[in-house]
Amino acid sequence: MIQGGHSEMPGSVPPVLLAEGLRKSYGSREALRGLSFSLRAGRILGFLGPNGAGKTTAIRILTTILEPSAGSFLIDGISSDYPERIRRQIGVLPESLGFPRQISGIEYLNFFGQLYGRTATEARETGRALLEGVGLQQRGNSLIKTYSRGMRQRLGIARALVNDPVVVFLDEPTLGLDPRGQQELLAMVQRIARERDVGVILCSHLLAEVEGVCDDVVILSAGQVVAQGTVADVIGQTQRRAARRNVIRVQVPVPAMAESRQLLEALQPVSAVIPAGESTGWLRVELADSPDGNVAEGMPKVKNKILEALIRADIPIQGFEVGGGRLQEVFLQLTEEGNE
Amino acid sequence: MSNRKNAGEDKDDESSGTGRPAWWLMFWRELTDLWFWGRALYLIILYSVLLGIMAFVLAANSELDLIPPKEMVFLTLQVAMAVGLFIGLIIGADSISGERERATLEGLLLAPASRRQIVAGKYLAAISPWPVALLVAVPFLFVLSQGDPVFWQALFWGGLLGSILAPAFTAFGMLVSVWSNSNKTSLFVSLTVYILFLLPTQFPGTAQAGTMGQLLKKVNPLEATNQFLEKILVNNRTLEEMRSWLIAPVLFAVLVLGLLFWYAAPRLRLDATAGRTFRLNWGRAAVLLLVVGLLVTSPALAQSSNPAFQIDIDEDYRLLLTGDELEFNTLVTYTGTEEGAPPLIVAMNIINLEGDGDPVDPEDWSPERTQYIDSLAKGESADLTWVVNPILEGDYMVYMVVIPEPDGSDATSQPVASSGIHLTVEQSTGINPGGVLPIAIGIPLLLVLVVAVLFWLRRRRFGADDA
Repeated sequence: MIQGGHSEMPGSVPPVLLAEGLRKSYGSREALRGLSFSLRAGRILGFLGPNGAGKTTAIRILTTILEPSAGSFLIDGISSDYPERIRRQIGVLPESLGFPRQISGIEYLNFFGQLYGRTATEARETGRALLEGVGLQQRGNSLIKTYSRGMRQRLGIARALVNDPVVVFLDEPTLGLDPRGQQELLAMVQRIARERDVGVILCSHLLAEVEGVCDDVVILSAGQVVAQGTVADVIGQTQRRAARRNVIRVQVPVPAMAESRQLLEALQPVSAVIPAGESTGWLRVELADSPDGNVAEGMPKVKNKILEALIRADIPIQGFEVGGGRLQEVFLQLTEEGNE
Repeated sequence: MSNRKNAGEDKDDESSGTGRPAWWLMFWRELTDLWFWGRALYLIILYSVLLGIMAFVLAANSELDLIPPKEMVFLTLQVAMAVGLFIGLIIGADSISGERERATLEGLLLAPASRRQIVAGKYLAAISPWPVALLVAVPFLFVLSQGDPVFWQALFWGGLLGSILAPAFTAFGMLVSVWSNSNKTSLFVSLTVYILFLLPTQFPGTAQAGTMGQLLKKVNPLEATNQFLEKILVNNRTLEEMRSWLIAPVLFAVLVLGLLFWYAAPRLRLDATAGRTFRLNWGRAAVLLLVVGLLVTSPALAQSSNPAFQIDIDEDYRLLLTGDELEFNTLVTYTGTEEGAPPLIVAMNIINLEGDGDPVDPEDWSPERTQYIDSLAKGESADLTWVVNPILEGDYMVYMVVIPEPDGSDATSQPVASSGIHLTVEQSTGINPGGVLPIAIGIPLLLVLVVAVLFWLRRRRFGADDA
C-alpha cells in the first residue's frame, strides 16, 4: 500500500506512475486482480492483453474515471486520493473518444486548454503549437466533423497534451487507421515521449508495432499481470520458459504444413506438432521429457533431427526458433496460459 | 483509499485554475452549441410559429366576440409556458445521456473540473431558451391584450412562474439524463412524466371537480400554475386567495434542483451503471405512474337529475354570418293546475343538423347557456333574452329545455323542450383579426432571418465545412 502523498524509490529516479495492488470488482466478477507496475519519464509502456483482460478498466482507474475496489497509485507523486489533482498531471486519449462535431480543431483545444486553467490567449497559442506538433496546422480552423479518423486520433493526442502532462494514456490510438496511419501515429507517440520526457502508457493490439515502439511491457490476462518488464526481458523470459518446456518453432510454406507435421510427429522425442496460425506456416513442436529429465543438453540433437527431416523431404525452412519467439507469440502463449 | 472523494472529486478544487471557472467554460460552450449551431433556435422558431397560429385563431375568435382579451392573454401565456418548459425539458434530457451516446462525456470527466461544475454549466445553458421563449411571447401578449392592463399582470406572473417552472423542468430532464445511458431512455422518461403532468387538463370537467380533482390539481405543479394564472388574470382573484396554488410549483423546483445539484451531479459517472437497478426501473416507474395517475383520477371521472309548461320563441329561421350576433327571446309560461311551479332551469342546446346531428358546445357560442327562474305562479310567464354568436358555418337547430327542479335528492322531474330556431351560418372572412397577423408572421420570419445570418456567419467562418 502506498502511504502518503509521495513515494520515493531509493537510489533511483522516482517513477512518474506507481501502481500497487489495484483491484476492481463488479459485483462478484473481478475485472482487475492486483495490478502493480511502475513507469518512468520518457519511457513507453505497452499495456497488452486480450479483450476482457482488464486493460480499459485499469486505464480508467489510473485516469480517475473509475474508483478501484482496492489498491492505490501515485502519479508524479500525487496520491490517487486526489483525483482532480491527478487529472491535471495526465493526458488521456480514451478508446473510441467522441468529438463535438460543430467545433473546429483549434476551438476544441482552446476549450480544454482553458479548462486546465490557461487564459484564452495562452490556450490558443498552446492549441496552435499542438496542432502543428500533430500535423494538423492546416486544418485547425476546419470543423471536426470534416476530419478523417486519423486526423481525429491526432487531434485526440493533441488534446491529451494540452496540459503538459507527465503521464499520457493512449488507449488503442491506432484503432481503425490504415497501416501508414498506424505507423505515423506510433512514430509520433515515440517522438512525444522522448521530446517531452513524459511517460506513455500505450494500449494496443498491434503487437509487432508495440514491440518496435515500447520500452516496457505489461501483459494482462483475466485481470492479472502475467508478464512485465522491458520488451526484451519479457521475450527472453518467455523463450527460456519455452525452452524449459521443450518447445521448438519452425516455419514452412503453408502448403507444406500438413506434410511437415506428419514428418515431425514421427520423430523421437516429438510429442506433438501444433500449427501456430494456419496462414503463417509456423508449427509449434513440443518435445517429450527425456528419461533423465535433462532436455536442454539433448536440444541440439533434436534440432538437427528436425532440420534433417525437413531438408530430406525437400521442404523449405523459412524460420526456426527455440522457444516462444517474438512478442506476438509471447502474448499468445502467456494469455493462453492465463486463461488455462 | 478511504480519503477518496465522491465520484472523483477533490473538495478543494472548485475552479479550473487561473483562467475562467469550469462551469463558465462549460456554459459558454453549451450556449454556443445551442444557439450558434441552432438546436435551441430551431425549437424557438417552431414555438413562434405555434404561437403565431394560436394568436391568429384567438384573435379571429375574439372578433366573433367570443373570447375576451384577458382569456386570450391567459391562453397564450399558458401555451408559451408549456412549450417553453418542454424545450427546456428535452434539452435537459439530452444534456448528459447525449454526451454519453456521442462518447464525448469521458473527455469532459477527464478535465480537472468537478462533476458539479460540469452539470452546472450545462444546466445554465439548458435554461437559456426560457427567457427567449418569454421574450418571443411578449408581442403576442401585447397585441392580444388589446390595451387591457392584464398584459402587465401576465408579464409579471408569467415571467415569475415560468422562471420557477422552466428551471425545474430543465433540471428534471437533466436528472433523468444523468441516470440514463441513452437518449432514448432519457427522453422517454422525461416526456412520460411531462405528459402525466399535462394529463389532468384533458380530463372532463367532472373529473377536475370534487376533493380528489382539486387535490390532483394542487399537487401538480403545471396544473397548479395554470389554475393560479387563470384565476388571477381572468377571474380577478387576489394573491391572498390563490397563494396555496403556488406551493406545488415552488416545492417541485426546490426538490428537483436539490436532487440534481446535491445528489446526482457529484455522482455523475461515465456509465450510468451506479444506479442501474434504479435506472432499469425508470421506464416501468413511468408507466406505473401513468397507470396510478389514471386510476387515482378514475373515481373523479366516475362521479357525475313535471310537466305543465309552454315555451314560445320569437324566431324560427335566420341566415347569419360567422361572427354575427343573434338575439332572441323565450317566454316560459306555467300552464299547470297546481298553485305554483317549482324553480326552473332553462337551458339552451344547439345541434349541428349536418352529418349525424352532433351537439355544439354552447360555451363557445353564447355567454349565457342557462338561466334560472325562481318560481312561476299558475298562468304566470317569464321572458328570457338569449344571445348566440355562431362561429362555424353550417346548419344548426337551437332549442330550449325547461327543467323543473326536483323535489328532493332522490326525486326526478320531466324536462320540456321548445320548438327550434333553424340557423344557417355562412363563413365571414377577415385576414387580419385584431391586427395580430403582422406579429404572427413577423416574429417567425425575424427568427428565420436570425438563423440565416448565423448560417452566413458560419459559412464565412468555416467555409464549405458547414454543409
